Amino acid sequence: MALLEVSGLTRDFGGLRAVSNLSFNVETGEILGLIGPNGAGKTTVFNLITGFLRPTVGDVRLEGDSIVGLKPHAITRRGIARTFQIVKPFPHLTACRNVALAALVRLDTHAQARSEAMHVLEQVGLDDKLNKPASDLTISDQKRMEIARALATHPKLLLLDEPLGGLNTREVQDACDLIQKIRAGGVTVVLVEHVMKAIMRISDRVVVMRQGEKIADGTPSQVVNDPAVQAAYFGKRVA
Amino acid sequence: MKRALPVVAAILLLTLPLGVSNQFFLHLGITVLMWTTLGVAWNLLGGYGGQVSFGHASFFGVGAYTTMILYLSYGLAPWYGMLVGGVVGALLSLPIGFICFRLRGPYFSLATLAVAEIVRLVALNWEQLTAGPMGLLITSLPQVTLFGNAINWERKEPFFLIVALLALCTMFAATLLTRARLGSYLLAIREDEDAAESIGIDTTRAKLAALAASAFFTGVAGGFYGLYFRYVDPDAVFPISLSIEMVFIAVVGGLRTVAGPVVGAVFLTVIAELFREHFAVGHLIFYGLFMMLVIRFLPEGIWGRALRILAWRH
Repeated sequence: MALLEVSGLTRDFGGLRAVSNLSFNVETGEILGLIGPNGAGKTTVFNLITGFLRPTVGDVRLEGDSIVGLKPHAITRRGIARTFQIVKPFPHLTACRNVALAALVRLDTHAQARSEAMHVLEQVGLDDKLNKPASDLTISDQKRMEIARALATHPKLLLLDEPLGGLNTREVQDACDLIQKIRAGGVTVVLVEHVMKAIMRISDRVVVMRQGEKIADGTPSQVVNDPAVQAAYFGKRVA
Repeated sequence: MKRALPVVAAILLLTLPLGVSNQFFLHLGITVLMWTTLGVAWNLLGGYGGQVSFGHASFFGVGAYTTMILYLSYGLAPWYGMLVGGVVGALLSLPIGFICFRLRGPYFSLATLAVAEIVRLVALNWEQLTAGPMGLLITSLPQVTLFGNAINWERKEPFFLIVALLALCTMFAATLLTRARLGSYLLAIREDEDAAESIGIDTTRAKLAALAASAFFTGVAGGFYGLYFRYVDPDAVFPISLSIEMVFIAVVGGLRTVAGPVVGAVFLTVIAELFREHFAVGHLIFYGLFMMLVIRFLPEGIWGRALRILAWRH
């Protein structure tokens, strides 16, 4: 059984069909890239999976159980954590407190939550910035902190919404290493991304969306050679 | 030292009537302590949770009316009635929260204002229950003997002790609640509600819990109002100005501080006493002006700033 099964997922905003009859699976232990041109509906898919939006039609199953209609916090507790395209730190709190709050939800004491937070922040390489307010961190560090905060909920599945956006080349490399390290730690990862080179390198499999529909699903090399994908990104060859 | 301070302050407060017998000063003290209770209760949701309610007068009014009706119709002594008033306030807060918490930020605040007006209009027009604009009057309080002495309800001392206990209990409960898990959840919600939800916090439940606790103490304070003034009518216990004054106390004293509302309540009472003689409702203009100055120059409130300066020195 796949870890996550998305089937027939559809979401309308008024007359606009943002996601249309989308189906794909996420297998345990893989890194799945979800790509597509701007406005393809990628972030909407994340919001539908995590309960921030309700699907108009369709089903999302985690380990076989439908999670449609659950509130975001309940979905997090079932084992799906996420980050946001535009980072949403707790801005006035330190990096450590940000992550400790997430750990506290499933732990008994503040002390346990704090030591868990330190542990996770060390994993993402922020152990030297524990006591900095989140709003003082660079974008790259804020994204790391948000990943740490998501990891502190002990997810089975981690959804990363543009973790590489706004990062420089060096930071992109570091973030890719981090994502691979997270997967090696037993967490399945789905990421939405625009930075093609990076996503093609780290994803085991890629799902391509265009105007709310899935147009391709396969390994990175299969997908880049797909004529439909090329048409979506570069337009159709005329001559 | 730091732990002993609240205990010493509490003992001083409870023994104050032994040293002060001036009835006017005791009346001022009672007013300050009632407003303190309201400010601390409001702060639970508005300060710690960042959910600015402009509708807390409904819980105050419902607490006051519950206390009065239970005494006048069923003979339940007001000091017990106050507690029932708090429970009724908390119960009322749940459907109100359920409606208003669907909205965020300023929209939430406006919704609380609108719902409070509905509650006020219901109280004004449900004459069989509330006697409408006529209000309810208690002519005499029950006889109580304590340590062999009959309590003299014509003096201020017994009321001072009741409200001092109420204020202390509210502050103690606020301290416990905000240090508990709920306090952490409210902190996350105040910082970013979506992020709070995304880490697994049931934000609606946490906000409802804070609202219910806040409404409980507001309702008990409303019950005290009925007991102390022995008269309530919708204009006295349900007005918008009352909701605004609760915000004022918390903001001026210091959001997210337990002792801040004491400072806010002192300021409110002093301003009200200074201007009430000269203008009918003119003191509200001065609250407004004063609040603008505080927000501009002391956004963390008077007590909030004091705490920061003290922490900085250490």
